[in-house]
Amino acid sequence: MSNVADNLAYTSKAGPPDTVDSKREWNLIFWLSVGWLVILVVFILLGSANPLVPEIERNADLINAQPALTNFWKDSCDPEVERCGRDAFVVGGLFGNDDRGRDVLAITVDGGRISAFIALVVTAIGIFVGGALGLLAGYLKGWIDVVVQIIINVTLSVPALLLVIFIVVVRGRSIWNVILAVSLLAIPALARIVRASTLQVADREFVKAAEVLGVKKGSILFREVLPNVMPTMISFAFLTTGIILVAEGGLAFLGLSVESPSITWGRIISDGRADFRDSPWVVLTPSMILFFTVLSLNLVGDHLLKRYDVRGSGL
Amino acid sequence: MILVVLILILGALFVLLGVRNSWRYALQRIGGAVLVLILVTFGTTVLIRQVPGEPCEIALGTAATPEAVAECVDDQGLDEGVVAQYLTWSQQVLIEGDLGYAFYKNQEPLSETIQQRLPRTVILFFYSQLIALAIAVPLGIWAAYQAGRPSKGIPIWILPIIVGGIYIYGEFITDWLFTSVLTLAFLLPILIFNLFRGGRGGDTTVNFLAFGLLSLPVFVLGVILRYAFAEERNWFSLAGYVPITDNVIEHLKSIWVPALVLGLAAAPVYLRLLRADMIQNLQQDFVSVAKAKGMSNTHILLRHVLRPSTVTLMTVLGLNIAQLVNGALVVEYIFDFDGMGSYLIEAIYRQEFFAVQTLVALVAIIFVVTNMVIDVFYSVVDPRVRAEAA
Repeated sequence: MSNVADNLAYTSKAGPPDTVDSKREWNLIFWLSVGWLVILVVFILLGSANPLVPEIERNADLINAQPALTNFWKDSCDPEVERCGRDAFVVGGLFGNDDRGRDVLAITVDGGRISAFIALVVTAIGIFVGGALGLLAGYLKGWIDVVVQIIINVTLSVPALLLVIFIVVVRGRSIWNVILAVSLLAIPALARIVRASTLQVADREFVKAAEVLGVKKGSILFREVLPNVMPTMISFAFLTTGIILVAEGGLAFLGLSVESPSITWGRIISDGRADFRDSPWVVLTPSMILFFTVLSLNLVGDHLLKRYDVRGSGL
Repeated sequence: MILVVLILILGALFVLLGVRNSWRYALQRIGGAVLVLILVTFGTTVLIRQVPGEPCEIALGTAATPEAVAECVDDQGLDEGVVAQYLTWSQQVLIEGDLGYAFYKNQEPLSETIQQRLPRTVILFFYSQLIALAIAVPLGIWAAYQAGRPSKGIPIWILPIIVGGIYIYGEFITDWLFTSVLTLAFLLPILIFNLFRGGRGGDTTVNFLAFGLLSLPVFVLGVILRYAFAEERNWFSLAGYVPITDNVIEHLKSIWVPALVLGLAAAPVYLRLLRADMIQNLQQDFVSVAKAKGMSNTHILLRHVLRPSTVTLMTVLGLNIAQLVNGALVVEYIFDFDGMGSYLIEAIYRQEFFAVQTLVALVAIIFVVTNMVIDVFYSVVDPRVRAEAA
């Protein structure tokens, strides 16, 4: 759900110099965020091979079972459940079960696989297509710039989620259609940033020097401009990944993302809504994980942006 | 016709303002806007043609007679090429102002639905923007003021550790009310202490708060607040929207939570922007001059620094319309609020593609026109922009 306002808000402007204290503080937050993202990636990559994550099984006995450690800590095992004693950890799972008896941690990890896949592919498309458009527009200017600007303006003038929903409904709810639709949201956002950044780099002395020396345009673009635009692009890639995760979550929440049986975070939240009173963990677990993931992505992106900030790289 | 009038009005305005090349500027602005609109609406027409099967059969349902389908196909220009179909559509919608049907099957006119539902959404937007500004402006000013000062207060990295820790603890004890109260009991004092303690810690806290709100998806916040205020307690009425003329308290009761959710989603965007802008303004020479003249800090902050930043804020308010529509789609769906957002979702579920197409175009028109108005407003307020544009 990116729009110009988001991009404006993310753009860090020249402020007062950081004190040592605050630098240390933000560094700590940065490493906490990186740590969380690493944990997340490890969980998603390991998937069902992870001993901490139980199998996704439908078990009528476990419908809406409370998170396991309740039993463990309060030492109040239900004698009806066979496996009580030794497997107290397993009954009900670490994060509890949903209304179909599936372990919430297991479906969250499973849903994370698809959510993360969509977010990463879309970001990659955004970087390659949007980045290329932005670079060409910012460096070559002329008619390419006009065309790219029109593309950016057209895409940004439609509310992103509405456009995405429209595309997904018209073209069908396969994973590639979702990716295609959400890409339309990432490409202009990244193109905009890269274009602004390129415009600035293209004015610097070393680019002029290379031009005067008669270096080919393509070579200047890749050897001089691109490396200097890269840090901004990578920082915004993190921010975009967060935005895409939320956008895909919103789509899934409305029941318009990838079709069942595939499940994503937004879908788990939407499914758990009906039983919020009795089993709030079904909604809260994926919600908190989504929240921390997006927060980490935002913090990491912002930190990198500040670190590699060319002063005043506003829009 | 309308275009010519618009160009004339805008051109006359610029002439009055004394902009150089005012007619060319007016032409450029409006020409650009029209081009964007044509491309957007053409895009939706192309999309409609990608519907698998016959969009008319989907719209009319399986019980439709072949004659009705044929009439619909002819009506929408589906039997012709893309360009002809687009021309048919734009003549119907844009020139004749006939928006078509909200639900094709019952031949309910879309304009009636809009008349009924649009005011609600507009009021929702209005309240949400009020809430967002009420949060963003004081916090933004405060953060910008504290940004350059030495650090005091509690280090902010404690917050995620506390929230995470309490959440894991909550998994074990499963009493969610207790857990959330516990979280607030830890978080609020730290946040409030840091805020009022001042120094750079205040700025960091505000920043972190903004990041937190920015990262909280609308649907998560909506689901939790709906449960907390509409299902667990009776503070919000799900019975439907009540106009303000009927009963003020009932009116507020039927709208405040969705407005709060939308406002909380928009607040961090404004907050971060205002803070960054004010920090930049605070480094300008005129601030030193004002300080040297012996003006109070409050006066400098509010009258000299906030004022130029307000213009930036206005621009973003305009740009944020698209974002608001995104939020409204989800929020109205969550809170069963019968505004345009929930109609759009319903229309999409019922596969009323023609109505959705028209509405996408209308939203784009509103967005483009608002931005143009804000651009003009910007150039009226800020002479530098005028000089640049001309």
